Amino acid sequence: MMSTKIRTLHIAAIAVASMFLCWSVAARAQGTSDPTNQLRVLRAAASALGMIRMSDIGVTNPPLPLVDVVTTMEISGSGVVYNNGQPMNATYTAAFAYIPPAMRVEIKGQGGGNAAHTIQTVREEYAWNESERGAGLVPGKGIATPAMASAKSRLLQLWILPYGVVKAAIAAGDKTTISTAQGSTVITFPLSGALAGITVTATLDANNFITKVATKPDNAAATDLVYEAEYSDYKDHGEILTDVKSPGRIVQKLAGKPLLDVKTTKVDANNPYLVFPVPPNVKAARAQAGSSR
Amino acid sequence: MRLFRSCCIAAAAVLWVPSAVLVAQDVQPAPQHPTNGPPKPTGTTPRTPDGHPDLTGVWNGRGDSLTGVPNQLRNSGVIVDDEYSAHDIATGTKIAAFPRPTGRTYGTVATGGAEGERAATLLRRVGSNRPIYKPEYWDEVRRLDDNANEEDPSNRCMPAGVPRASIPQHITQTPNYFIFIYPGQGGLIATQTMYRMIPADGRKHTPLQDLDGSYNGEAIAHWEGDTLVVDTWGFNTNTWFDQVGGYFHSENMHTIERFHRDGNTLTWTVTVEDPDVLLQPWTSTPRVAVLNRDPRAMLPESLPCYERDLGMTVTKEHH
Repeated sequence: MMSTKIRTLHIAAIAVASMFLCWSVAARAQGTSDPTNQLRVLRAAASALGMIRMSDIGVTNPPLPLVDVVTTMEISGSGVVYNNGQPMNATYTAAFAYIPPAMRVEIKGQGGGNAAHTIQTVREEYAWNESERGAGLVPGKGIATPAMASAKSRLLQLWILPYGVVKAAIAAGDKTTISTAQGSTVITFPLSGALAGITVTATLDANNFITKVATKPDNAAATDLVYEAEYSDYKDHGEILTDVKSPGRIVQKLAGKPLLDVKTTKVDANNPYLVFPVPPNVKAARAQAGSSR
Repeated sequence: MRLFRSCCIAAAAVLWVPSAVLVAQDVQPAPQHPTNGPPKPTGTTPRTPDGHPDLTGVWNGRGDSLTGVPNQLRNSGVIVDDEYSAHDIATGTKIAAFPRPTGRTYGTVATGGAEGERAATLLRRVGSNRPIYKPEYWDEVRRLDDNANEEDPSNRCMPAGVPRASIPQHITQTPNYFIFIYPGQGGLIATQTMYRMIPADGRKHTPLQDLDGSYNGEAIAHWEGDTLVVDTWGFNTNTWFDQVGGYFHSENMHTIERFHRDGNTLTWTVTVEDPDVLLQPWTSTPRVAVLNRDPRAMLPESLPCYERDLGMTVTKEHH
């Protein structure tokens, strides 16, 4: 016969274990900022993309850690691009950099014509449209048109790319949470700086590739910041192999409406020479806008 | 009691499993504090009778030079702070790092395989400090870098030239001139031995139009405080001005090198001006050489340079 004291102990132990299990399950569903789990998940995602490499080239002692080697990249594709809701067969080239954050998206509609060729560029808080790559940097060579109102939306396109998601989630530190939804790992984190007030949610597949990304601004009226992206068919698409994996298909929506659906044709992930100097007239326009506020 | 013990063991197991998984996945921090940061200077800076820092010596201790053991990640402008963090020198931007997996060599050059070569290629280009060319040359820079195996002049036994040669491995200093020696290196870094005799007697440059362009140009030195400034122009166009990147230049390139000795270290930077091809002057990431304190230190004999048809023997990823 168990004594009353022992029975009470049993009940208490069961209660404690049950509470722990409930907490554990709830934490997984709601997301946790457990640093070891976060480290494991983010490292797995970075590793799947081929972003991290041992860094001790030319240095042998002490051994150096893995570092993120993705600084610049160019992804080209073709498919359907939506211009004001109208679908258009087009080629798409996204040249981007993370130090400093910058992106140049060039879209060439099939059939030619000036209206079907756009180059939209952003670097940090500066956004502008280019009549040709590098327009406005040398007098008489192209026109750079300031587009400062688009800066946040363009910058966001950089951070919803798979590499941007991993970098931003790491940068968010203990604000990044890991959860599980429908059997998939989900990373949730807030952006900072110019994009503060936007929360990003990214879903990983079984191979730790980022397959879905969604952004949600605190300000629900900011619909130009509500992106959804889907990435699939990852592999090293480079002519020069780098072991950096890129999506073979990119689908994006903005405010629930289709933005682009392209298949990758070429990737240069070898930290290619891509630069994004801000044209003087764009700098002046921003300075003027700042002083008139 | 058994049930209580079982529950405790179960709870402990649940708590312990994640850490066990982590250990198994090698995310434990390494016991050392890894960094590729520049060597800390030690000792005093000797001075010559005229009061200037004495740069004389063999500068092939563990530091940066083209022909020494270049710390390529730092040369590209990135310093590893610890197991979890690195940063871009030019902007201060943090770069993610993860503890090194134990017992694995994936991604290192030491593997000697294609994976290592591809990692090295990326690592040499991580930093953000890139010269800004005029837009009409952006594609050409990429083409040269992508095809560096065939296009890089150093792969054809050409001199590295100035400023690519960066820090000399030996400096002789006199009141009126300096001699810099850059031993050549065989193998993949197939550069020729270079030397420069640089006057510091107050003379002026020869007018540019009167100079025949050369690999090393016409150099003249002067002191700005304790920093030796070497001003050079009169180049040919047969060199690149950094180790990687396809950074070609015109014959109007003008370089300003700065050498600063602090104890047993010598820090070098160069500013490249070339209004023909660059939008703005570019200043390199500082490189630091360490004095070889052995009073009997000698320069090694250069290995012969041999031309190879790298386009036929290796793939594009091997540079």
